Amino acid sequence: MDETLLQEPIVPKAKKQKRQRITWSMIKDQRQLIFMSVPLLAYIILFAYVPVWGWTMAFQNYKPARSFGQQEWVGFKQFKFLFTDDSFMRVLRNTLGMSIINLILGFVTAIVLALLLNEIKKLFWKRTVQTISYLPHFLSWIIVTGIVATSLASDGIVNDILMRLHFIKEPILWLSEGKYFWGVVGASHVWKEVGWNTIIYLAAMAAIDPALYEAADIDGASRYRKMFHVTLPGIKPTIVILLIMSIGHILEAGFEVQYLLGNGLVVDWAETIDIFVLKYGIAQGNYSLATAGGIFKTVVSVTMLLFANWIAKRLGEERLL
Amino acid sequence: MGGKTKSMLRLSVILLLSLSVILAGCGGGNKNATKAENNTGNQAATTENNAGDKVEPFEITAFIGEAGQQPTPDNKIYKKIKDELGATFKFEFLAGDINQKLGVMIAGSDYPDIMTGNTKLTAAGAYIPLEDLIEEHAPNLKKHYEKYWNMMKDPNDGHIYILPNYGAYNGEVSTTWYSGPAFWIQKAVLEDAGYPQVKTLDEYFDLIAKYKEKNPTIEGSPTIGFEILNYDWRNWGLFNAPQHLIGHPNDGGVIVKDGKAEIFADKDIAKQYYQKLNEVNAQGLIDKETFTQNYDQYLAKISSGTVLGFFDQHWNFQDAENVLITAKKHERTYVGLPLVYDTSITDHYLDRPALNLNNGFGISVNAGEEKAIKILKFWDRLIQEDWQKIMSWGIEGEDYIVNEEGRFMKTQEQRDTFTDATWKLANKADALHKFSPKMEGYFSDGNATDAAAQPEEYQAGLEEYDKNFLAAYGYNSYVDFFTPAPENEVSYPAWSVDLVEGSEAKIVNTKQNDLSTKYLPKAILASPSEFNKVWDEYVGEIGKLNIKAYEDRINEVLKWRIDSWTVK
Repeated sequence: MDETLLQEPIVPKAKKQKRQRITWSMIKDQRQLIFMSVPLLAYIILFAYVPVWGWTMAFQNYKPARSFGQQEWVGFKQFKFLFTDDSFMRVLRNTLGMSIINLILGFVTAIVLALLLNEIKKLFWKRTVQTISYLPHFLSWIIVTGIVATSLASDGIVNDILMRLHFIKEPILWLSEGKYFWGVVGASHVWKEVGWNTIIYLAAMAAIDPALYEAADIDGASRYRKMFHVTLPGIKPTIVILLIMSIGHILEAGFEVQYLLGNGLVVDWAETIDIFVLKYGIAQGNYSLATAGGIFKTVVSVTMLLFANWIAKRLGEERLL
Repeated sequence: MGGKTKSMLRLSVILLLSLSVILAGCGGGNKNATKAENNTGNQAATTENNAGDKVEPFEITAFIGEAGQQPTPDNKIYKKIKDELGATFKFEFLAGDINQKLGVMIAGSDYPDIMTGNTKLTAAGAYIPLEDLIEEHAPNLKKHYEKYWNMMKDPNDGHIYILPNYGAYNGEVSTTWYSGPAFWIQKAVLEDAGYPQVKTLDEYFDLIAKYKEKNPTIEGSPTIGFEILNYDWRNWGLFNAPQHLIGHPNDGGVIVKDGKAEIFADKDIAKQYYQKLNEVNAQGLIDKETFTQNYDQYLAKISSGTVLGFFDQHWNFQDAENVLITAKKHERTYVGLPLVYDTSITDHYLDRPALNLNNGFGISVNAGEEKAIKILKFWDRLIQEDWQKIMSWGIEGEDYIVNEEGRFMKTQEQRDTFTDATWKLANKADALHKFSPKMEGYFSDGNATDAAAQPEEYQAGLEEYDKNFLAAYGYNSYVDFFTPAPENEVSYPAWSVDLVEGSEAKIVNTKQNDLSTKYLPKAILASPSEFNKVWDEYVGEIGKLNIKAYEDRINEVLKWRIDSWTVK
């Protein structure tokens, strides 16, 4: 309650400042800044706003090599096809499922690894572990899926280890069971991205005032206490901002992994919105359907982003917008 | 303060300048490009004037819709073409997914001069109609396609867009090489069983089961009884076998009876096949990973020599078999068997070659009429016998020899280099020849147009192992395992019907394939008692689709073919 009271007067003030009248002298003062922002502005207009014009395709039966006037307008037909298709609910479920798994696993593993790395005092070891863990980030998915498929084969390393440890008697066919698929995708994501994701947290940790640790030391805090009460709160704003950004990408469960690892046996669990759109949109020459799918994803993304931002605001946390 | 502003100003000016340089750079590039185009245009005009006297060089840009390698810059055939016909080529080979590549090309109308056939490009209006141009400028091409003229017309608008690369024959067709679908079996299995005649599916799997029991490992790796490839568009390994087992030729996803097409995926004839697969899976004959493997893994398994059998088209696993041949493991290579359900059925795997519709080159709208005529004239020259010999056999004396009887033969050394991929890049114009119009059958001097079809050359090129193998069966070539092909139905084959992008027929077909990809593996891997349950579910799901839309489209085109292709 106190906090909100304190914040209340600040917000309108900030707004008032923004509303300050723009005068010629002000523009003159800031002309260098304005000049410098021109290329960026042009970039954004050219690559973010102009393409929105292409959304008109979603309401047409778009055929290439015809001018705009010759296109046939079909209203919401493409959207209707998208939303009423039997498999739509299934692909939506798969997309959300894998996305949420990736989100949670990605955050938890990256933060834990960052915390652990931060505790290593020997610089050599820290660097070595960090380098090894973020190297897979630079591999493309086609290579990673190759590695995953080979390791999970019936004579692959995973089955080999599990059999030698007597956890299983028969090799498990990881890629032919739908129920394993989400887990396989989640684990591949962790393997590939965990090291890379820690970088930003490590940077945030480096920015924490050492005086806080010293103060905690004087108060007799143990290592774990310091992790929980100094390091974690220190990187909280970073976590929240990254979380908001990730939630905006909730429908981006990835495309390559599912496309490359999926097969007939696991199709019920592997098909995502992107694959659906590829199959019935682009592969059929139906660019309009592909556009409709894109619009749907964008609308959901923006909504989720605003929602997450709003929640963060309500919780009194750092926020993006 | 003043100095700071000044330096800031300077900085921003530099930034702006660099930006303008970049932009100018982009713009300039375009200008140069147009200039270059004008130049070629001018050159083309001059060639037109001097035609007949000497050859003016011109460049043909080409898109090849499959992966391939650029020929070497000093390739001897392309050099000869350049010197004598004036044409140089710039190839772009497909890298990655064809649909994505075409999507991008179509969206930007970014077409080279000639492109290999694809219904997507036809639908996008990317090709120019060729019939009038050929009539006017290319008498030899016209003669080459005379018999097939109406078949080449697009059923949707009656124009000729693509020049079929295979299937235009002169005279009788005989081959020693079968590239189509069959149940393939390792030669060692037949040898071990004493060279039996294998006719039915049951006999085939019995042989495999016995051999596998006797040889649980091959060269230390576990023996694999049967492979089924179903990856991306290479889905016939799983889908297509049932139509052959009841004695029909390859019509793709349908069976055509009396000119009427009907899908067979959910019919009893299909069930019988998949139930058999379910049964042999229970015996442990089918590779456990067969449905999760991709094409590369499939080839790797075959080239390891441990796979005893599979259903496939020969060209699809050719690369893997070549590895076995290079490694001199001739007993691990394969024989195609035309299996049927029971001996009362006559097999119809081997078919009379049909015109390879929607394959071969078409000329794009971007080439312009002048260039199009030049290209057609080039092909018109290339289709004549002297050039056909060069394209197919090579240069006399260097790549082949002519014996006293005037027959074309090769020395062993020439034979060996002929299969060497690196040598080919420097000494063959394969990328061009594969998709260009070509003579098939025999030259006027009686030699075959293709080394593989020259009987004495085939015999001379056989390995010792294969000679003995064929002798044990009393056959001349591996094609003799098949019943000779009867005359084709006029409308054959149904698989070349263009379903039209984005149409209901195409969507239904995609969905049906999705269902098959999902349920058939499930049915095959299910325990035998569960099979019927999975099968019924599958049939139920297919029943929900509007299959009629798909069958109607095929029947519509088949009817059109019967009406317009029948020679009156």
